[in-house]
Amino acid sequence: MADATGEPGWLADRRAHAFDLFEKLEDPDPKGEEWRYVDVRGFDFSRFQPPRVSPEAPKLDPALQAKGVIYVDFATAAREHPDLLREHFFTEVPVDEHRFTALHGAFHSDGLLIYVPRQVEVELPLEALRRVSSGGSVFPHTTIVVEEQASLTFVDRFASDESPQPALCASVVEVTAGRGATVNYISLQEWGRSVHHFQTQRFTGHRDATVRSLAVNLGSAFARTQVESVLSGEGSFSEMLGLYFADTNQHFAQRTLQSHNAPHATSDLLYKGALKERSRSEYSGLIKVLKGAQGTDAYQANRNLVLSEEALARSIPQLEIEANEVRCTHGATVSPVEDEHLFYLMSRGIDRVTAQKLVVFGFFRDVLDRIRVERVRDELSAAISAKVEGAQRLEVAV
Amino acid sequence: MAEKLLHIEDLHVEVEGKEILKGLNLSLDKGEIHAIMGPNGSGKSTLAYVLTGRPGYEVTAGKVLYNGEDILDLEPNERAQRGIFLAFQYPTEVPGVSVVNFLRTAYNSIHPDEPKSAMAFRMYLQEKVDLLEIPTELVDRYVNQGFSGGEKKRNEILQMAVLRPELAILDETDSGLDIDALKHVSSGVNKLASPEVGILMITHYQRLLNYIRPSTVHVLMGGRVVRSGGFELAEKLEAEGYAGIAKEIGLSEEEVAEVEGQRV
Repeated sequence: MADATGEPGWLADRRAHAFDLFEKLEDPDPKGEEWRYVDVRGFDFSRFQPPRVSPEAPKLDPALQAKGVIYVDFATAAREHPDLLREHFFTEVPVDEHRFTALHGAFHSDGLLIYVPRQVEVELPLEALRRVSSGGSVFPHTTIVVEEQASLTFVDRFASDESPQPALCASVVEVTAGRGATVNYISLQEWGRSVHHFQTQRFTGHRDATVRSLAVNLGSAFARTQVESVLSGEGSFSEMLGLYFADTNQHFAQRTLQSHNAPHATSDLLYKGALKERSRSEYSGLIKVLKGAQGTDAYQANRNLVLSEEALARSIPQLEIEANEVRCTHGATVSPVEDEHLFYLMSRGIDRVTAQKLVVFGFFRDVLDRIRVERVRDELSAAISAKVEGAQRLEVAV
Repeated sequence: MAEKLLHIEDLHVEVEGKEILKGLNLSLDKGEIHAIMGPNGSGKSTLAYVLTGRPGYEVTAGKVLYNGEDILDLEPNERAQRGIFLAFQYPTEVPGVSVVNFLRTAYNSIHPDEPKSAMAFRMYLQEKVDLLEIPTELVDRYVNQGFSGGEKKRNEILQMAVLRPELAILDETDSGLDIDALKHVSSGVNKLASPEVGILMITHYQRLLNYIRPSTVHVLMGGRVVRSGGFELAEKLEAEGYAGIAKEIGLSEEEVAEVEGQRV
């Protein structure tokens, strides 16, 4: 990898180190809290072709460039902004967190560095599109640094055509929001049904920062998304939204962390998912309040709507509180849509599929209403409709 | 001879293997209001559900003709499209879906030949809201979520006004209402009564009939209509309770004991 991209020595060394870790680390334990019910022991990495470097360079409005905003791939970042890259790349997420982050550290292929200088507001969302080919692998890395009182919205899309061969994505996202900064990060996982998706997102909010994240899982055969928000600065705020809709034999696993490391910070998490057919989902979320994080306000809710008797949703909320002046609430629900619910709607002339759509849209409404990027909201509405209609019935052996 | 709006003949219905309706006969025409009275467990709600196609109700014998058409194999939405409406005893909550969006979807499903845009539907809905003297804010709330008992029943009558059925079945629309709410809901039903609609009003209590005057009263007991008559039948029930009729029609002592003491 390093030779092919002409990377500097330090980056190549890190790849080699990560590869060593990947070889040494054990597979995650499906009985542990973080990977509960997700058994990847014996996951065959050798069936995927190595990643190909994406030829497309990110585009940035010259007006933003003039203000000092940086939006470049890693090759460019290593040449033109080596110090910035070195300071922030793989610093929020530890490379040895688990085998998939180590693998990512060894093979990261589509790295993007986004930097917004002090007090610069990027009004329109920046977007990236990640692709993978049939039988291939991709290791997208997103490093976002938003300095003091600056703001950014970033939409990370993961999409591929339906393909016969299994493919792999192991992705890492690291976001730092400086003092009083605002960052809105949206990941849209809409892979084709043969992709295995592993992603770790970590957000660090410094004093008075606002960090909003939205993690969407719609595609792939299997997806594990780990979203961690570290409230490291006093008075910081983190909104964590999740939306997932699994059908056929899809399996989504979500792990979240709200880590309150400083006083008077607020985190507000809402993950909502619908399940059809024989799909499965797990949600496991931890609110962690460190000693000294007085005046913490932490909310966590996971709601699941189950549309078939064969689908299975599990939800595991956890609290670890070391401070004594905190307000924490958490709740989890798994609710079936029964024929009797649909009967009420159908008795008003509404056909079964439309009735299901009404119920599902009603269920997702509060998450959709909180999405600030209108285009994303519209796209998700269309995707939800298509899911209810069962437009995608493709099944892929996992 | 013109077809009856609703014609039920020798209807037998099972729920979870237990026979609830045991040979029920009933006919109703447009412009008529029929009350069906009966003690708990007599099969009143079963009749409402089997007419509207709720899952879990198995017809083992008999027929139901609506404007001459056998409707028993139709989906609930297909029956609604033909003009059948049920005001539920326990309306279902639909979180996240506003009354106005729900009703517009329903209206456009039932009246596809005259679909209404969001704006046109708003105005049409407002007419009905005004007619029934319902607080306007109700239509922007999520369907039945957080509604009081009275609001739920009013919302059912609002739906009837909007969807304009030919056959409206009111399933214990009076239950759980205080006297003011009952008057309000009854006055709504009276405004919607017309020569174009047949109303089948299911109730346990005679009280409702003081506000909505039926043309015919049926007594349902043991899964059959055992008596039919005019308003005087309701008055007789009021005086004698269900046990009187139960004895007259020769129910077993056990069955009589079951309805004994149930107030009309």
